[in-house]
Amino acid sequence: MSEAEGAGDQELARDLGFLEAYTIGLGTMIGAGIFVLPSIAADQAGPASMVSFAIGGIVSLLAALSLSELATGMPRAGGSYYYVNRALGPFFGSIVGWGMWGGLMFASAFYMLGFGRYLTFFLPMGATGVAIAALVMAAILTLVNYVGVKETGALQNVIVIALVGIIIVFIAFGLLNYDAATMGEFNPFGWAQVAATAGTIYVTFIGFEVIATSAEEIKNPSRNLPLSMLAAVVTPTLMYVLVMFVSTGTISRDLLINSRIPVAEVAAVFSDISLAGFNVGAAAMVVGAVLATVSSANASILSAARVNFAMGRDRILTNWLNQVHSKFRTPYRAILATGGVILLLIALNVEIGTLAEVASFSYLVTYALVHVAVVVMRRADPSDYDPAFRIPDPLYPVVPVLGLLACVAILFQMDLVVQVIGVVIVGVGIAWYALYARSRSRTEGLMGEAISPEPATVPDGRGTYRVVVPVSNPVTESDLLRLAAASAHANEDGNAELVAVNVIEVPQQTSLSQDLAFEEERVQAQSDLLEQAREVAGGLEVGIRTRAVVGRSAARAILDIVEDEAADQVLLGWTGKRSRREHVLGSTIDPVVSRAPCDVTLVKLGPEGSRGEGDIAALAGQGPHAPVAARRAHEFADAADGTLTLLNAQVRDDAEDEGEGEDDYHAAGMETVESVAEAAGLESDDYEAEVVPATDLETDLLAALERFDTVCVGATRTGTVSQALFGSLPETVGSEVEGTVAIARGPEDSPRSVREALVERLQP
Amino acid sequence: MTGGLLRRVVVPVADPDDARATARALRDASLPDDASVLVVFVVEKAGGAPDKASVEQREMYGRDLFEAFETAFDSDAATVESDILYGTDVAETIVTAAHETDASAIAFTPRGGSRWVKLLTGDVATSLVEGSDIPVVVLPDVDEAATDGGPAPGGTDE
Repeated sequence: MSEAEGAGDQELARDLGFLEAYTIGLGTMIGAGIFVLPSIAADQAGPASMVSFAIGGIVSLLAALSLSELATGMPRAGGSYYYVNRALGPFFGSIVGWGMWGGLMFASAFYMLGFGRYLTFFLPMGATGVAIAALVMAAILTLVNYVGVKETGALQNVIVIALVGIIIVFIAFGLLNYDAATMGEFNPFGWAQVAATAGTIYVTFIGFEVIATSAEEIKNPSRNLPLSMLAAVVTPTLMYVLVMFVSTGTISRDLLINSRIPVAEVAAVFSDISLAGFNVGAAAMVVGAVLATVSSANASILSAARVNFAMGRDRILTNWLNQVHSKFRTPYRAILATGGVILLLIALNVEIGTLAEVASFSYLVTYALVHVAVVVMRRADPSDYDPAFRIPDPLYPVVPVLGLLACVAILFQMDLVVQVIGVVIVGVGIAWYALYARSRSRTEGLMGEAISPEPATVPDGRGTYRVVVPVSNPVTESDLLRLAAASAHANEDGNAELVAVNVIEVPQQTSLSQDLAFEEERVQAQSDLLEQAREVAGGLEVGIRTRAVVGRSAARAILDIVEDEAADQVLLGWTGKRSRREHVLGSTIDPVVSRAPCDVTLVKLGPEGSRGEGDIAALAGQGPHAPVAARRAHEFADAADGTLTLLNAQVRDDAEDEGEGEDDYHAAGMETVESVAEAAGLESDDYEAEVVPATDLETDLLAALERFDTVCVGATRTGTVSQALFGSLPETVGSEVEGTVAIARGPEDSPRSVREALVERLQP
Repeated sequence: MTGGLLRRVVVPVADPDDARATARALRDASLPDDASVLVVFVVEKAGGAPDKASVEQREMYGRDLFEAFETAFDSDAATVESDILYGTDVAETIVTAAHETDASAIAFTPRGGSRWVKLLTGDVATSLVEGSDIPVVVLPDVDEAATDGGPAPGGTDE
């Protein structure tokens, strides 16, 4: 049943085929670079700068391979940021998130200045004029994205194909006019300079990332993502190298490096036809450049908003920024913030080469971490990560290792000024992590898993099965403790123990002691609550300890206790209502569920007499945690002398199948039930099996569950941070079914921290 | 007569105020006994170019609208379901969904907005009225004054 998980509808949202994805990437790649960079590159490395472009292409190709594996494994909005945050945790997530955002802003400012420069062909103006033109265009683009003017795929394709056409004609003429004498000495400044130039021009290779940031919109991503990304790297790399060859071989070095519109200058040499006072060849290049710079900047602004959104989704950035406009349905605040910084960068008169290099720096840092992320994901191998594209065997781990080294090597060759600005951007990410993201982020990263990939068994030493039960409501307290006791008994006779926890939350503004003085009532309530817990446990033949805690955050306090007690399970109550946007199920529940390193059981209590008693059902689907749910259900049934049914739903593709395929469905259902029971360690006389034929999984399942008093369901979603903590089906069951519902997950998908993994490794 | 028309109605919502206003209007309309309401939000696709906002971002936005609707509707007069739709043309997508669910009508409250805004966002109301072959019911925006005072649902759960 996990297969049915929302997959159907989402497919409709995917409307970018290979050609569209390719042109989006290509459009951003060709963008500014090819039109603006030749003079900067020739200035730094002479004709050998074509080698710099080749290096940039190879570095990008390596990055595209690693990104393809990550993107097909997790095709969601946010691109590199999302993969790095998932794999390496919020520390590196913050660095890459801010790096990409910063990089895109610097790159957009660079594109806009390039746009202004090319306008001078038609409209002679000085540096101030160029800056004003850039400001105006940047403001227009910000506005266009603010109101969300709808672009069409057709227009996009036409622009890109026109660009490619113009450049191919340019190259063809250039090769005919090539003159070795004009080119002069191939490598006048040495190879170190060539490598440094690769850093400068790398800005032009960041475009293919746009494909990854839009991964959620791409049709058949397992095929189209890698193909379009690789194609979007290879095509422009060839073009760049040839354009550089042609440019240095056509006009003199002095003319080239002093030109603000290098490619147009070169084109002017090929054609002597003039129209209305303008050289036709040059004019064509200028039109191309204007289109290219605008389309690159536009794609970058959109891309930046995707990164912001993905960061907000992981709670690394405030979701205030990701508010959707009620009329235009655009993330208008994110757009304005990005646009504002772009305008500021242009207004501050930052040198065009520096803009390019800072963007390059940010992205080289990003790709370095992307390569690390691939290795971490492969080693950690979380259950929901199954990339359709894998770097083929002889190339892995060569590609990520080489890619990482190449990125780092280029970073070290860059200008000191650029390195300083780049390090400042990285520093912003680190500071942001320390001051904001660390306490809020919902992801842990998988580095711990990668270092020590064996599943963790929680060491205890005393052989006690311990269940932590956060309690806060005197009405529900006794039932939660009873359920926890049922689970504890089954797991360790005689040595089971409950730990009842209550947390008094004190707001950030007040000091812990100050607030307590005024809160005697709350303290009294807490001690009453825990006293009651002890009484309840007395009747349950199970050991209990109580812990009264005062803390800033209930979730943090509970997680600390879970770790401190080396708990085997944490069982907590839930009202059955979903929360507002900031949280999925609740401000305390969310972090505990996503980070507790042990079994987690979330219980919504039904009416009296149905609480873990009577007819109990467990959903036996293919989800990774179905066996945990079955075990919980068995424990409850055992303790309360209830009946246990393992339920499996089989979805029929269409009504016509009815009758004929009936037996197959039934057999498939029974098979799943049996495998779940086996995984849960149940004997065949422990349970009844039932297969529910369904046309609509959710509706029919909910109907079938109506007659049960208690329902246990396993998490279908693991690890990934999203709007559903356990998966949408378990949560729907939780909020819709009248009776008691227990949603369970096992321990293995809560990633360990690096420290925990190292400790585990070092233990004999 | 409107009873029959509102038996199975598809209700597009576009923003939180719109969702609340439509919910109130529908609650106050005389719905037949077995009425069912399908609230829909359309994620507009660019169809080949990158979208103006992340799909997932707008799905979240849509779910918030459904919640606002249900809170404001707050009535047992009809079963309320919700669905997120995807399409390049908002009005057309709504009409298609109405056909697929055998809807008796499409109902909405006019959102107002200046001509300028309509020009930029596309005038979905007009396209619906002109382009639908299923009856379109325009509901009055009943409680204009209370629009901004709607209680914000939510809070924590423990």
